[in-house]
Amino acid sequence: MNELKQIVEALLIATPEPLTEARFHACLGENETKLPLAEIVEGLTADYEKSERAYFIKEVAGGYQIVTRAEFEPYIKGLFSKSGKLRLSQAALETLAIVSYKQPVTRNDIESIRGVSSDSSLRTLLDRKLLEIRGREDGPGRALLYRTSIEFLQYFGLNSVKDLPRLREVEDILAEDEEDLI
Amino acid sequence: MKNQLHRIDLEMFEGPLDLLLFLIKRDELNIYDIPIAQITKNFLDYVQLAKELQLHTAGDFVLMAATLMKIKARMLLPIEAEGDEEIEDPRTELINMLLEYKRYKEATTAFAAMERSERPHYYNIPAAWSPQQEDHTAILEDVKLYDIMLTFQYLIKNYEEPLTHSVAVEEVTLTEQVGFLSGLLQANARLSFAGLLAKFESRLVVVVTFLAILEMLRNRQVKVKQSNLFDDLLISRGSNFENE
Repeated sequence: MNELKQIVEALLIATPEPLTEARFHACLGENETKLPLAEIVEGLTADYEKSERAYFIKEVAGGYQIVTRAEFEPYIKGLFSKSGKLRLSQAALETLAIVSYKQPVTRNDIESIRGVSSDSSLRTLLDRKLLEIRGREDGPGRALLYRTSIEFLQYFGLNSVKDLPRLREVEDILAEDEEDLI
Repeated sequence: MKNQLHRIDLEMFEGPLDLLLFLIKRDELNIYDIPIAQITKNFLDYVQLAKELQLHTAGDFVLMAATLMKIKARMLLPIEAEGDEEIEDPRTELINMLLEYKRYKEATTAFAAMERSERPHYYNIPAAWSPQQEDHTAILEDVKLYDIMLTFQYLIKNYEEPLTHSVAVEEVTLTEQVGFLSGLLQANARLSFAGLLAKFESRLVVVVTFLAILEMLRNRQVKVKQSNLFDDLLISRGSNFENE
């Protein structure tokens, strides 16, 4: 178990994307004992808590990754020229919300919901790899189809798109509006 | 402006639907029974401002103003019902758009909250939060079409057409350039796209050659690698490359 914990720790530090069970097993040699990744991560998490590390293991995008604890943000910011992570604009967040619930979508789908041109938001989101292009629509014009990426899940700390907050139904919104009026 | 509108007020809104939702809430209107005349009047004040300020979204506001006026006109017209047929309220489409937009606008608040709570946690994959981050080590094996297009845009922007005075009609075809590239790849394992560019005398040839690369990429005659966004494209033989 101890050796496996060390292996997982090394993989977590080096991995370019969240470490999944499948990837972990592929990294192990033929003769190595295999334990469920979740179990090993649990052991590591307990170790980290005991020894008060500056980081912890987070379950994200269907795998695990090491992230720093919130209290170190002020120091980490100093590493980056743009004072840490860049925040997304309201327009970019709206565009991202529409894509994440309705994917795959075309630019036209997004713009007909938002009622404004969404070209520059889409470009920002593609540049930041939060969205990706996944093929084209079959219909006339063969418009590009957009989807959310693994980076999107990481950015919002989600395990999968199924974990997104539920989109309220129109009926709920109306019911609430009526209450407001009374 | 009579409502003392300011630039800030208008920029607060993500677009015409957002502004309409604001007006509905502010004036405590029933979304199912919007007083079109009143809301159109209020809306137009904002549109006027958007035009004066030459906001890039002004066009979207003008379009919505036109829609509102169309609805208003239709509501004034007497409608003759045929038999028991139900007459559709001219506002229905607008109401549905407002409700649909509202759902996503609400979700956006949740997204902003998730972003805030994830913000202080850092991990070693900076692409998502710092696009300018340079990474000189990675060779991206699977260059996406979008990356290639960006690179092409970037390279062609910096491509200066040499000054010539010839008036001969240039004729260059896709097939020719595919042949040209195949020939070069017979002799060289790798080609640099920027290197190729330097050899060409017109933008047209550059564009056709780029299209030839895309065509060959599609047929798996070539592979394209790139170490960084906007970096040079490295072209090598693909699995379907035909050796002569």
